[in-house]
Amino acid sequence: MDVQHYNQKPRRKAKFFSPPNILKAKAGSGGLNDAILDRAQDLLENHTVDFAPLAEIYINQMKEGIDEAAALGHKTSSEEAIGKILMPCVQLKANGTMFHYPLVTRIADRFVQFMEVIECLDEETLDISNAFLTAMNIVINGKIKTDGADHGEALVEELNGACMRYFDKHK
Amino acid sequence: MAYNLQDIKILLVEDNEGMLDLVKAVLKSFGVGQVITALNGDIGFEEFLRNNPDLVIADWLMTPCDGLELSRMIRTDPASPNRFVPIILMTGFSEERHVISARDEGITEFLVKPFNTRDLYRRLYKIIESPRQFIESESFFGPDRRRRRANNYDGPMRRENDSSQNDGRRSTTPLGDDAISPEDIEFR
Repeated sequence: MDVQHYNQKPRRKAKFFSPPNILKAKAGSGGLNDAILDRAQDLLENHTVDFAPLAEIYINQMKEGIDEAAALGHKTSSEEAIGKILMPCVQLKANGTMFHYPLVTRIADRFVQFMEVIECLDEETLDISNAFLTAMNIVINGKIKTDGADHGEALVEELNGACMRYFDKHK
Repeated sequence: MAYNLQDIKILLVEDNEGMLDLVKAVLKSFGVGQVITALNGDIGFEEFLRNNPDLVIADWLMTPCDGLELSRMIRTDPASPNRFVPIILMTGFSEERHVISARDEGITEFLVKPFNTRDLYRRLYKIIESPRQFIESESFFGPDRRRRRANNYDGPMRRENDSSQNDGRRSTTPLGDDAISPEDIEFR
């Protein structure tokens, strides 16, 4: 270790503040008990908000992103083009489980991970995107409000396999 | 003895109305006295100016003004009534680069969706019981980004006036344990 680097005079100055803890002053002590948290969890698990109309918006946005990228007719690494496919999928991932579609969250999460690391959009990545899109569409249209059991597992594995084959090919 | 959240005012900013209603219901069931809602960052900032809440909970992806822009306005706008207000950012993003960009905009806690009520409560509890110092430098204003404690760090502190020199503890620079703990990045 080169100690000279560490022994030089600090170059940056920063001001530190310890603001008053207003929340603590108002809330007091003791936290919330399990009964309150369980009751709140019941609200989350038993609400009846219909996710399908919102999911359809995200699915359509994702489809538009895929179609626009395909219409280019060439590879693109544009963050904007990737974002148009990725962002609606992030919403599907975030909201799926919250609205009783855990399989949508699972599929979308895998796709988000895939999109985060690919170099560009090309024919292969768009094919994979379409496969994920179709899978999520089926889950939502089929109102599959579970993890899909063995079929869900097989579906996720199949989609994951497509990603893995892509990664193996483009090491 | 338990928390009494009746006097607490929370601003909740979320463009998905279903999610907005859900989170509001959860906060009310926690006993929070007042939950002010807004459907995007612009409206959220107007409500922030009008109500000066004790805590802000915002979604990241919103149009036309997202949760990061809202955080930036709260932390830096001269009209902001409380630049130190804790901000919890809700998002579907869990990849490290997104967490870092959120942290750099002055976010206090990061809540990955989907979440359960205990995830939300843990963030709330942490903000109440373990508030962080704020730092103002040339390029940053927000909660201290250095939260990971590394007992084996033997180098000098990065800043001459680093307060953590005074308490015998030393921090390292990456994301704090709490900012991106494994429980944060698992999805359900």
